Amino acid sequence: MTLPAFRVLQPRTVEDAVRMLDEHRSDAMVIAGGTDVIPNLQMRLFTPRVLVDVKPLRELAVIEFSARQGLHIGATATLTHILETPWMRDKFAVLASAIGTVAGPLQRNMGTIGGNLCLETRCRWYNQSHFWRQSLGGCLKKDGDICHVAPGGKFCWAAWSGDSAPAFLALDAELEIASLSGTRRVPLREFYKNDGMDRIALARNELLTAVHVPAHMAGRRGVYQKLRVRDSIDYPLAGVAVAMEVDSAGICKDARVALSAVNPAPMLVTQAGESLIGRKWSLELAERVAHAAIQTGKPLTTSGSTPVYRRDMVRVFTRRALEETWKNGHGSA
Amino acid sequence: MNKELTHLRVNGEEREIAITPNRLLLDALREDLGLTGSKRGCDDSSCGCCAVLIDGTPMLSCVALAASYEGREITTVEGLGGPGELDPVQEGYAEMGGAQCGYCTPGFMIATKALLDRNPDPTMDEIREALSGNLCRCTGYMQIYESVKYAIEKLRAKSATQAPATR
Ligand SMILES: Cc1cc2nc3c(=O)[nH]c(=O)nc-3n(C[C@H](O)[C@H](O)[C@H](O)COP(=O)(O)OP(=O)(O)OC[C@H]3O[C@@H](n4cnc5c(N)ncnc54)[C@H](O)[C@@H]3O)c2cc1C
Ligand code: FES
Ligand code: FES
Repeated sequence: MTLPAFRVLQPRTVEDAVRMLDEHRSDAMVIAGGTDVIPNLQMRLFTPRVLVDVKPLRELAVIEFSARQGLHIGATATLTHILETPWMRDKFAVLASAIGTVAGPLQRNMGTIGGNLCLETRCRWYNQSHFWRQSLGGCLKKDGDICHVAPGGKFCWAAWSGDSAPAFLALDAELEIASLSGTRRVPLREFYKNDGMDRIALARNELLTAVHVPAHMAGRRGVYQKLRVRDSIDYPLAGVAVAMEVDSAGICKDARVALSAVNPAPMLVTQAGESLIGRKWSLELAERVAHAAIQTGKPLTTSGSTPVYRRDMVRVFTRRALEETWKNGHGSA
Repeated sequence: MNKELTHLRVNGEEREIAITPNRLLLDALREDLGLTGSKRGCDDSSCGCCAVLIDGTPMLSCVALAASYEGREITTVEGLGGPGELDPVQEGYAEMGGAQCGYCTPGFMIATKALLDRNPDPTMDEIREALSGNLCRCTGYMQIYESVKYAIEKLRAKSATQAPATR
């Protein structure tokens, strides 16, 4: 497959980059590691006239932690760079666990955290060659007016398929977004719109510059469990992230559970916290939270695996993730 | 689309080519520079056949826009070893049957080279992890792991004989 025609702009600073995005608006697209953008361009899923290449912006590649400011990861930091940061696994276990499952090592050497948080949603009817899609008359998301997942519906169910977002949700992260009018901060949970067509609350003239995790999240136990066909390279078919604080008596002080790949957005299981806080580990309690998780996760036929299986694995993984972090103390500093 | 003069540093040499902005590094290497060692093995950037070293890190040349890698040190499988001399990694794959059809081999060699440059004595888990971005339809991977072990031994023997000379 070949690439459509486009120009590539190379900003030198963040200011440059947002000026370029502002100037070209709907004609422009950001490219960072390109591991999502390039395959999608080859499939003609979009045809921007201009790519703004933010990868060389070293000012955005910084990874820092301080007890006052918490964790700061710049948008162009690569996934490998994050994984190889010596203190990451101890301080932010769930994040290291999740990022370690993204694609394979070659994609992680190129892929950035910004790209991972802004990933296109995925669907078996969408992530196909132009020829394949044309033969079916397209779909709601691209070149058509019917949804093959929910025929008759006018809503796009393409699934959120990134692995770091659920971990960041479990850590109550915030994003830093730049535009010509300055920088704004947005809680990650408000960034995702749960719409396969219009996935994130980011305007065409805005650039994601960093992700922040509050300092009090450092040292939480945590783990990410992921369903995929092969144990490397594959996108998630379901994912469960758990981060929790447990006191010396084994009582849960705080907990967050988030899901990936089973909705058009990564999602917090909102009932999890209140069920878990103040309690001691029990299998029965873990099963109850696992049951809440499958009320939140609503997988449809967006991938090669069946919704029934993916939904059931959300239940199993939620229980296992709680067991690992709480009972077995996995990911405790 | 206009072609632009682009300067790539490949296998230690400065090369100048005229390419369009949408030229992938893989195509620039294969078609503009005649370095056909790197392969295209898939359509969705999932196989690792196109891996090259960029400043020593293995990356997929099929998702890299060539012009964005100006000024970086690019090493392809052709750049391993010296003139008339195989790199221990290449020797390993040749000796231990790590290559059958050979299509995946350049990518595996690049991933192996990157691993051994950083970590000359990897554990089996580290070898598996380092090669987990590369797919092979022929070997079943076992001979590939044997090839890596062969290269490790070869490098160890080499550094043992070289050590006294550098002292
Ligand atoms: C074979 C294969 C398997 C994969 N498996 C997984 C997987 O298992 N899990 C997973 O999470 N991902 C997976 N990926 C996707 C991808 O490799 C990672 O998500 C990676 O982190 C994306 O980052 P990038 O820098 O390459 O993004 P790019 O491709 O450069 O960009 C991705 C999207 O984000 C936008 N974007 C990037 N940076 C910014 C920014 N700073 N501001 C605003 N918008 C921005 C782009 O416009 C684009 O829409 C896979 C990819 C491949 C090819
Ligand atoms: S050609 Fe398959 S990953 Fe690049
Ligand atoms: S040797 Fe044939 S694909 Fe690996």
